[in-house]
Amino acid sequence: MTSSAQLITSDRPQEVGTTIQTTCCYCGVGCGVDAQVQDNQVVSVSGTQAHPANLGRLCVKGSSLHETQRSPDRLLTPMLQGEPTSWDTALDYAAQKFQAIIAEHGPDSVAFYLSGQLLTEDYYIANKLMKGFVGTANIDTNSRLCMASAVVAHKRAFGGDTVPGCYEDLEQTDVLILVGSNTAYAHPVVYQRIARAKELRPEMKIVVIDPRRTATCEIADIHLPIKPGSDAFFFNGLLQYLAQHGHTDVDYIAAHCNGFDEALAVAAEQVPTPEAAAEVCEVPSGDIEHVYRLFAAHEKVVTVFSQGVNQSSSGVDKGNALINCHLATGKIGKPGATPFSITGQPNAMGGREVGGLANQLAAHMGYDNPASIERVAQFWQAPNMARDEGLKAVDMFDAIHEGKIKAVWVMATNPAVTMPDAGKVREALQKCDLVIVSDCIGNTDTAKLADVVLPASTWSEKHGTVTNSERCISLQKGFLSPPGEALHDWQIIMRFAEKLGFGEQFNYRHQVEIFREHAALSALDNNAEVALRGFNISALADISEQDYENLSPIQWPVTPESPEGTPRLFADGQFYTADGRARLVPITARLPVKTPLPNQVIMNTGRIRDQWHTMSRTGTASKLLGHVDEPYIDVHPDDVARFGLLEGDLAMLKNRGSVYYGRVKPSASQRVGEVFVPMHWNGKYAASSCADALVNPYVDPICGQPEFKHSPVMIKPFRQAWNGFLICSQDIRPECEYWAKITLDTGYKFRLAGGESLPCWRTWAHAQFPEISDWVTVEDSDHQFFRTAGFVGGVLQVMFSAATDKKSAPEMRWLEQQLGQATDASGRFAILAGIPDAGVEDEGAMVCSCFQVGEKTIRKAISDGCDSVEALGNKIKCGTNCGSCIPELKAMLR
Amino acid sequence: MSKSKQTLLIVGNGMAAGRLLDELIKRDISGFEITVIGDERQGSYNRIMLSPVLAGETDVPAIIGKPSAWYRDRGIRFVSGVQVKAIEREQKCVLTTEGNRLRYDHLVLATGSRPAKIPAKNQQLENIYSFRTLRDVDRLLNVARFHDKHGRKTDTDALVIGGGLLGLEAAYGLALKGLRVTLVHRSGWLLNRQLDKAAGTYLQRVLESKNIHFMLSDEVERFTGSHELKAAEFKSGRSVSCKLCVIATGITPNKELGLTAGLQGDRGVSVDAYMATSDTSISAIGECVEFKGATFGLVEPIWHQCTTLAERLCNNIKRPFENSPVPTKLKVSGVNLFSAGEFITTDEHRELLYCDDQAGIYRKILLRDNRIVGAVLFGDARDGQDYFSMLQEKRDVSDIAQYLLMGRAFYAASSDEPAAA
Repeated sequence: MTSSAQLITSDRPQEVGTTIQTTCCYCGVGCGVDAQVQDNQVVSVSGTQAHPANLGRLCVKGSSLHETQRSPDRLLTPMLQGEPTSWDTALDYAAQKFQAIIAEHGPDSVAFYLSGQLLTEDYYIANKLMKGFVGTANIDTNSRLCMASAVVAHKRAFGGDTVPGCYEDLEQTDVLILVGSNTAYAHPVVYQRIARAKELRPEMKIVVIDPRRTATCEIADIHLPIKPGSDAFFFNGLLQYLAQHGHTDVDYIAAHCNGFDEALAVAAEQVPTPEAAAEVCEVPSGDIEHVYRLFAAHEKVVTVFSQGVNQSSSGVDKGNALINCHLATGKIGKPGATPFSITGQPNAMGGREVGGLANQLAAHMGYDNPASIERVAQFWQAPNMARDEGLKAVDMFDAIHEGKIKAVWVMATNPAVTMPDAGKVREALQKCDLVIVSDCIGNTDTAKLADVVLPASTWSEKHGTVTNSERCISLQKGFLSPPGEALHDWQIIMRFAEKLGFGEQFNYRHQVEIFREHAALSALDNNAEVALRGFNISALADISEQDYENLSPIQWPVTPESPEGTPRLFADGQFYTADGRARLVPITARLPVKTPLPNQVIMNTGRIRDQWHTMSRTGTASKLLGHVDEPYIDVHPDDVARFGLLEGDLAMLKNRGSVYYGRVKPSASQRVGEVFVPMHWNGKYAASSCADALVNPYVDPICGQPEFKHSPVMIKPFRQAWNGFLICSQDIRPECEYWAKITLDTGYKFRLAGGESLPCWRTWAHAQFPEISDWVTVEDSDHQFFRTAGFVGGVLQVMFSAATDKKSAPEMRWLEQQLGQATDASGRFAILAGIPDAGVEDEGAMVCSCFQVGEKTIRKAISDGCDSVEALGNKIKCGTNCGSCIPELKAMLR
Repeated sequence: MSKSKQTLLIVGNGMAAGRLLDELIKRDISGFEITVIGDERQGSYNRIMLSPVLAGETDVPAIIGKPSAWYRDRGIRFVSGVQVKAIEREQKCVLTTEGNRLRYDHLVLATGSRPAKIPAKNQQLENIYSFRTLRDVDRLLNVARFHDKHGRKTDTDALVIGGGLLGLEAAYGLALKGLRVTLVHRSGWLLNRQLDKAAGTYLQRVLESKNIHFMLSDEVERFTGSHELKAAEFKSGRSVSCKLCVIATGITPNKELGLTAGLQGDRGVSVDAYMATSDTSISAIGECVEFKGATFGLVEPIWHQCTTLAERLCNNIKRPFENSPVPTKLKVSGVNLFSAGEFITTDEHRELLYCDDQAGIYRKILLRDNRIVGAVLFGDARDGQDYFSMLQEKRDVSDIAQYLLMGRAFYAASSDEPAAA
């Protein structure tokens, strides 16, 4: 059964230079991509002109998709306990152990941990298998780390997890407020659209609310660098201001909202004036009032919020405080007026639609309603329907650590790096009886801890739908055949289901069959009589395979009434609550759980422009490491001085027994006492620079989303005894206290540093490459510098340079280009110098060895008029010492 | 003619004498009657080129810088094949072995040196040679010419004693002629006066590939044979049969002529900074000289001696001679080495080392107070002269230290752009 399904993607006809329209695999913007395909390879990519998300644009990550296809770490066969094996053996082992654990400890002793990288169809059947057949809701996803707060805020306010607006609203608005959202880096194409809109309509006001002065501030009229976590104070203050100054939409509230008075009462008491907001937010009250006035004065206001709001111990409340303001002014459901949650991952929204989270059921139905559980059980014909919510991410890994969960399947994500307190997550996975990982890369930090690793297809191979931040469903197309024995995630789940004895209910021949079922479920009892649900794609429930293959991007709901999709919701003031009215939630704003001690700083985490998540894909393209190539720490100059740090030197952050090493970047964009670190680096790219390992596992009590943006940590300089770099053709793990790996076109570069004792550099370097015997070495008895280069067959394989001071190991682009190149003996001088030969003219064969005068120089002197040995001697000294070369000089003169 | 000319008598016609003549002519010899007495028959020739002659890389006429006609054309009297027996200082004349007396107003001793002796017994046996003169080379070439490459009955064809510059060049020349050569050296590595052990070992490796076999840390105790050389017995107890032997363990200054005449001196004839001996009418230059306790075996300082003396004789200008260090080179094709200044690393040095085993390139620079005090190069000697200049200039090299070993092309670039990163 699976083989026929496989044929559909792998045998898709491929002419020379075919263009395939697909969807990008990175962020939640969900851009359309035109991929040029030749010989089972993507040769170039460009943005799809007609795609509503990007209208032809692509960011640097998207533009490099074709450069990240050939990962040397690509997993090609199933692995069992570190050994390659067959699919049957791997799945038999996994399924039998899974069943045995369920038999002994019950269904809640097993769990799935999924990812916003999965396609909707993959997500759907994983959710169905666990909640309907295995019988547990222990299925959570890395979306918990990014979107859970917004999901619950939406549900509380709108009665469903629904983003009301669309990207066009961001362009059409008069006041755009970006809260905790560095779109310039995290959603570059959306940022470009905003920047363009601002260019065309300079009167459009842009406000950035972020403790950091991010790159997004470049286009901002106002930046409010608020105290981290004080967002809800700001919005409570806004609600109170709006009410106080008569800017609420009394009619709208009366017609469409509940809870306004209660919400206002709490807000007014907590933040009675802009001055009160200013005091908590630590920004001038004049600036706050200015933004309040802008919000009040314009009909068209969009508030975009992202991880800065969500990744918090009070993320849900922050979301509702923000939405409250839009509801109280009726600035929702209209062009250019909406709250807008922008997601991080390509298909976080798809996961939310199928209900692939522990506290959701399916298709926008929850565990709060027994009728929903019954409805879904019937639809699935589920024998073991889970009746209660499962464990959310942090609790799930805690339960694994405690031994309550004994088997876990991690799909397409890397929790050993990305979870808060990641060190504990590693421990948990080490303890766990059965760890299954399905991924396209075989050596992620998580896969290294797994018993069974299953090779999955990746972007350009997998085929199915994704939904972006504006509810737009696009087809991510499979047009290359998966390498080796890799299978699509839905195929893997289906085979596993078959091994568990559910082959009959998991018998899909094509993704479209799953999609139709998903669409049918979204339509099931979805009406005003029972309960209206936002997610409804009933019009696609009978989609033909051909229409599915040619699916144009479309925004849900897609119903018989709106077959072309729905750009904006709630225009009619009707919400998905029981009474159809939106709900303003009274919010008592809270600051983050932990305040820093005097010797601590607050660590904030986030994305950098050119990397994606844990770099498994983007880390393989040298181009994407050109912007930032090493873990770093943004530190305010005052803190640089206070903690004795030095620009460009390494510093250490410490918390929860974990250490993050990064280069110190003094930055006035930081607030004093706060540092920013990128979240991407992990054990594959650095010795110890995993930011999330330092994050406290404090979560939002309602949604379980961790507080990634606010971790008090120790900071101190890393006193290094030496530093250096290593470039090499093969990937290694240097045995060194600090290293960071940078992918080159020709191989890899490592920045290195060691604390305290100085190793014998020669012994150290040569021990990293035992197979190389041809070494050239430069040594200094004072240990100020050391260099060595290793060759195989005359071809440069390794160059290592170390120094006790900073300037003695300068890196050169030129050197990186020499990797893999054959070099002669004098070329080796250049390699060791690290710089190309400075163009000192080749002298030709040495004639006068006393004064080192070569044949070419002599011939030139002769042609310039020297006609005797004496004349040559007077001009270029040759032959005037020992005279041995005089016969040769005479011969040349003849 | 106004004033009568001064009689300038030069005893010796080696490289120093030849160079002195050049320097005098370059200035003005109209005030002199010049006579040169040499015990070799040829005019002045380039003794350094004996090795290439032996190796067949050049021939005899090419290295004779001054044939008889040269002297004649310049009005210089050239007395060849004659040895001076004594100096009669009161009479201001010299006595030749033939019993002739030649008068001088000013006498220049340029008597050179002779091969150093070794303590081995039975050195009188036939086929034991030195490697010093054209005559030595002639004899060696003759042996090589009639050497039967097939009827080999001995362990080796030629035994060369001495792992210094001369010994190595002799060994190389003989090997190139097709002889099997064994070189014996008292020290643990070759050129131990110029190289450290590592460079000496690199050198050995290259020469071994050129068919020279080495016996290090050993000495000949005695030669054996009734009339002709048959074998050599060593201090280590080993014995090696051979057809010929070349002793090239160094040189001894020919100081006797001067010292017997009562001139001051110990290892050589003592001179002051202007090349004057203890007798103001007698000067001395070259390998027979001792200056501040040092003797000389390389051309460069001797050239400076000639300049100093010519300035004084012709122009009465006193430009003092300074004995500065001289770099070493070896005239063996395919062997590039360079050594100058200190070459054994001690705790007081900062040592910079470049090793490329595969390419056979070794470079060592010794620094003291960030200044080059020594350099040893093997395999690629191109930058030796540059290092040597910096050594002489006492240049502070701390800013270019990390590029120094890779050569001028790199440290020149790095000092132009210090921000290479």
